[in-house]
Amino acid sequence: MLNRSRKALLSLILFVAPAFALYVIFLVIPMIQGSYFSFTNWDGLNKSYSFVGIHNFVEAIRDDANFRTAILFTAKYVIVAVVLQNAIALLLALLIESQRKAKGLFRTLFFMPNMLSIIISTFMWVFVFSKVMPALSKFAALKFLGISWLGDPDVSFWTIMLVSVWGGVGTLMLIYMSAIQGIPQHLKEAAIIDGATPIHMFRYITMPLIAHALTICTFLTLNSSFKVYDLIFALTGGGPARATQVITMNILEEAYQRNYRYGYASAKAIILFLIILVITMIQVSVMKKREVEA
Amino acid sequence: MRRQLSSVVSLLVLAVMAIYFLFPIYMALINSFKTQSEMFTSVLSLPSSLRLDNYVQAFQKANMLRSAWNTIVVTVTGIVGIVFFSSMAGYKLSRTSGKLSHAVFLLFVASMLIPFQTIMVTLTKMAKDLGLQGSPFGLGVVCAGLGVNMAIFLYHGFVKGVPRELDESAEMDGCGEFRTFFAIIFPLLLPITFTIVILNLLWLWNDFLLPVLLLTDFRKYTLVLTINMFFGKYSREWSLILASLILSSIPIVIIFAIFQRWIIQGITEGAVKG
Repeated sequence: MLNRSRKALLSLILFVAPAFALYVIFLVIPMIQGSYFSFTNWDGLNKSYSFVGIHNFVEAIRDDANFRTAILFTAKYVIVAVVLQNAIALLLALLIESQRKAKGLFRTLFFMPNMLSIIISTFMWVFVFSKVMPALSKFAALKFLGISWLGDPDVSFWTIMLVSVWGGVGTLMLIYMSAIQGIPQHLKEAAIIDGATPIHMFRYITMPLIAHALTICTFLTLNSSFKVYDLIFALTGGGPARATQVITMNILEEAYQRNYRYGYASAKAIILFLIILVITMIQVSVMKKREVEA
Repeated sequence: MRRQLSSVVSLLVLAVMAIYFLFPIYMALINSFKTQSEMFTSVLSLPSSLRLDNYVQAFQKANMLRSAWNTIVVTVTGIVGIVFFSSMAGYKLSRTSGKLSHAVFLLFVASMLIPFQTIMVTLTKMAKDLGLQGSPFGLGVVCAGLGVNMAIFLYHGFVKGVPRELDESAEMDGCGEFRTFFAIIFPLLLPITFTIVILNLLWLWNDFLLPVLLLTDFRKYTLVLTINMFFGKYSREWSLILASLILSSIPIVIIFAIFQRWIIQGITEGAVKG
């Protein structure tokens, strides 16, 4: 008997050890090291460094104006991106599902940007904003397109959003479409027989029954927008003058470009982790409660 | 009548959105055939001829073949590592009951919440210490380490649907555990394996930040990094850049065209279960 359970343990170890080793080396240890360094003033190169307690955290939250700007800009980005991406993805899913023809065509079209590298597709947008829009604005009716898309911080937030929605809605739309397809036909029919208008249908049938998809998609967008980097790097580079700098960019700048303050950058990275953790936890637990079974 | 009106309106909205989605790609495509001077005089019009000059130049100047090869090395290393190790681990963790197995599985799942940004600085240092910095293969190994948690989660769930009797009958026939897994179980995991391959392919092929941190030599750059460098170097020669953007997107578009149905299914499933 003992022999048997020992054999089972051995086979568990043999099967799991390789993956576990990779996981420990590239995820667990960096995470622990990062947490550890966040309490030090290590510069990434020097052998010697000292403990500074929670000083890094205090400095990041209290004294670092750039970091605060980055957090605020990221927060603004997250709120608008989560709302817009989900609203547009849901709208597209509903519209496509209501079509009889060309469903596949539209689905492919709106999903396509998700296949491309964000860097590469954003460079196409840079071309659009720097060359095509000025050309279009020469037509009298399109004069409003002549604005400074990337140079003016007030405008560039919406420019970023335009590209963010473009690249972000595809996956969400697929998830919403599959949720809409999962709504039982008899519920829709019953609602129609009872004389429900399309708005009633959406409010009382569709929305409650795709609530799980809403939870997933909100989680996905929250997660990805807090971590946004590629898009903003390629579009504005964080500029003009750090006006569109996001948290990830600020961390990288701290660790590699400015003073090589690894310890400090680690503290900021931990703050980012905690922000994402707390907010997604709240989001999932609140939204899970509202879900109903069909 | 009302019904018709609403379907016309919805078609109209879809059409407007379609223009928005196609616009940058269309603009990049038509201008990639123009000479620099033709582009300046008429950005909006179709190219006067389908000259492939920009493409040939971009292909050579950006060393597309080399970067494509580097990208393939990263992607294949990462995907093979993830699929191989995660399928084994996910299968065993799903089949074994007990506290240890459960705890290990929870550890894997919980780590999915760690954002890459939180560990990137120390991860880069770790890769450097292990001699994995600077090579596409090393980058692939690091990616495998980052990707196993989600793949294990997906395999773990899928294996529950594979009857245990298969393991038992194979064992009775004297089949060793590894052979049972690779000869009998693994082929049955193909649907979820395909989902995992797709999700990781999109991540690895298009990843930017981790390669930037790990690949220091431009000769080892992946396609995305090469394009980024190219963009900085020839920032005024849009026609050349656009050709390079289109060129570097072709492989993934071809893959999408061939596997579209499975990709869409895989992404939906991966997201809903993950």
